This record gives sequence, C-alpha cells and structure tokens, in this order.
Amino acid sequence: MATHAEITASLQAFNEGYQKNKKLKIMNKDWNRVILIEASDIKSQHTLTLQNGELSITEGGPKNQNADLVVTSDSETLADLFYGDITPTEPYMNGTLVIKGSEDDIVRLDFISLMIWGE
Amino acid sequence: MKRVVSVSLGSSRRDHQVQVELLGEQFEISRLGMDGNFEQAMAKLQQLDGQVDAIGLGGIDIYVYAGNKRYAFKDGLKLMEAVKITPVVDGSGLKNTLEREVVTYLLQNTNFIKKGTRVLMVSAVDRFGMAEAFAEAQCDVTFGDLIFAAGIPYPIKTVQELEETAARLLPEMTKLPFHMLYPTGKKQESRDEEKAQKFAQYYHDAEIIAGDFHFIKRYLPDKLNGQIIITNTTTAADIDLLRQSGASCLVTTTPVFEGRSFGTNVIEGVLVALLGKSWEEITPDEYRDIINKLNFKPRIIEMAN
Repeated sequence: MATHAEITASLQAFNEGYQKNKKLKIMNKDWNRVILIEASDIKSQHTLTLQNGELSITEGGPKNQNADLVVTSDSETLADLFYGDITPTEPYMNGTLVIKGSEDDIVRLDFISLMIWGE
Repeated sequence: MKRVVSVSLGSSRRDHQVQVELLGEQFEISRLGMDGNFEQAMAKLQQLDGQVDAIGLGGIDIYVYAGNKRYAFKDGLKLMEAVKITPVVDGSGLKNTLEREVVTYLLQNTNFIKKGTRVLMVSAVDRFGMAEAFAEAQCDVTFGDLIFAAGIPYPIKTVQELEETAARLLPEMTKLPFHMLYPTGKKQESRDEEKAQKFAQYYHDAEIIAGDFHFIKRYLPDKLNGQIIITNTTTAADIDLLRQSGASCLVTTTPVFEGRSFGTNVIEGVLVALLGKSWEEITPDEYRDIINKLNFKPRIIEMAN
C-alpha cells in the first residue's frame, strides 16, 4: 500500500515528465480537462488540470467544478502508474484501474502517460 | 471452386458475394460483417475454419508497421488464433507490396503525384508501404495517425517521427480493445460530426487524401475542394458520397469485382489460396509476381462535379 505522500510524489514525477515534453504541450493545447485521481484503499485525492496544454496538479478534489475523468485504483497501482513503473493499459484492461469518462478521453490519457513513460 | 471469406468487424450492411475467375480458377468471394460483435466474429471464424480455402480478417488489423518494426493488435491476434486449419490473413502483407506500388503506378502513369504534393494519410501505420512510397516521392505528407485514431490534433510530418511515435505508443496501445482506436460496427455507418468539423482543415489542406476508407468517411467534412482519394473497400454508395462531397477523383488500390473494391484482406486471401502456401511463407516478390500475372492495376474514377 502506498501513502498519500507517495502518490503526491509520483504525480510530481509525472508532472515533471510532462513539463519536459514540449511536444506533449502542443499536442494537448485543445484538451482542457479536469481529472480526479482517487485511491480506493486510502483517503487520497488529487486533481490534474489541463488547460491550454499546461498541466497542474493539486491535492484534494476539484474545486467548484466536476471532473471530466475520474481515475480510481488502489494506492500502490496509482503510485506505480504515475512513477512510470507500470503502464496504464494492463491495469485498465484487468479492471484494477477504473477510469470513468468518455472513451476518447480515456485513450487520450493513456496516450499522455505513454508519451511520458513509453518505450 | 475456391472459397475465400472475409469476416469483418464492420457493418453487415456492406455484405456481398461475388464469383470470379482468376488465373483459370473459379473463386467465390464473400464478405460477412459482424456489426462490431467480437464474440460473433470468433464463432464465425471457428465455424469457417477448415471449410474454406482462405479467410480474411476485415475491420481489424492484426499487424501494423512502422519502419522495420511490426506491432500486433491483441484483439486481432485473438481472432487469428481462433482459426487453426485455414490460412487467415489481415491484408497487411499485401498492403506492403500492392499499395506501395500503387504510388509508383500513379507516379508513372498520371500527374497526380509530384514533389511537394500535399498528401494526408489518415493513418499510416496500417499502410506503411504506401506512407513510405509517398515520402520517397518527396510529397509533403501529413500522417494523421494521432489525429484520427487518438483525436490529437498533431500532424506527424516525417517517417522518422512516425516511427518514433509508434515505438512509444504502439506496444501498449495495441493491447487496448480495437474499437477504442478504430471505427467498428455501427460507427462505420455514421460520421463523427464534432471531429469532422474540428479536423476539416487537414482534409481541405491536402491535395490527396489516402488510407483507410472508414477513417476517411468517419471524419469527412461537408465539402471537399477537389481532392484525390486513394483508398479501397468502396461501395457504389461511397463513390456517390465522395462525388457529392467534392472529391475530384477516386483511386482504389484493390481490384474491382462487380462494382465493388474489396479490402486488402480479401485480395490477400485470394492470393494465398492461389499460391497454396501459408501467408508466413509468401515473400513480397511472390506477391508482386502474382499481382503482375493477375494484371491488378489501380482503378481511377474521375468525378465530374
């Protein structure tokens, strides 16, 4: 089991990977989304906000708006995922990782993480 | 008589059956759409296994390519592995030869392609031979794989970038259900209005629009401005649609039987049945030789608007 602090650190690593990738910022200029990351086994929520290609991460749920995507998994999987130790596809396909949102948005989120951590 | 059946994840509304003679052999060729129902496709493949001379898998890729790397879709492999006896193909072997040569044919026999011609390939990894041929002809190519498969408005402009992006994404993306990346079943009958509008500029900027017809059709804007379309699997209704949209010309890469341009999976199935070998044993040269013997040439339809 990972802690809230570990998930926060993994999301910071994810954000650093995103910030380094100029191409990703260009690719996501049209994709303004609020994404809630929620652990299923501990009390831990984070909000990823994409606005004009810029990514920001805050602790807690989204303020004054609903999330477009809700990503739920156990804390260990979330930390592994955002550290890039595992890819999202397998836990998504076996049901460990649950993503609520449109199919197009799910593919897009998968794509971002692969562009950061892929082969 | 040899029987070749294409089992497609696409719409059953496009089903058809023809009889043709090829190199002295009688062929019955049919296409069966499974309306996006994966389990039904598995059952149909198992039922046909051992009963026909070759099976084509339509509406889904097993293999896609970028450079020397081949990536296999998990869903495509599952379908292929359901067939134990009959040779089963997805058209990818033929795409690498026939469709590459279509570009060469057009270079030599038409004025459609020249240095700097703006080409939109709606997806390139499923037609890497054609993609490379356009790049070798020094066309200004936009590879639309990210745009149309992932909804990301990022045009890939070089084969190198296509290969790098594919290497990063495809090992994992190919594990996703195929319908998340490609229009299957009923999605093949409707246009994605939002994306057709959002991505219309890519169509309008191009002089040639090439690649998978289901992608082309799903994101087709209201009006084209005289583009040449290079594709296959078009029906008479599709030709009308392109004409009304304002395309100037349609080039189909596969031969036409009874007014219908078949998918590469069907034609590859026919060639495998003619060669009497499993597809793994067939070399590109053997495909080229038999294509020449069959005198397969692209069909060019001028569209008066």
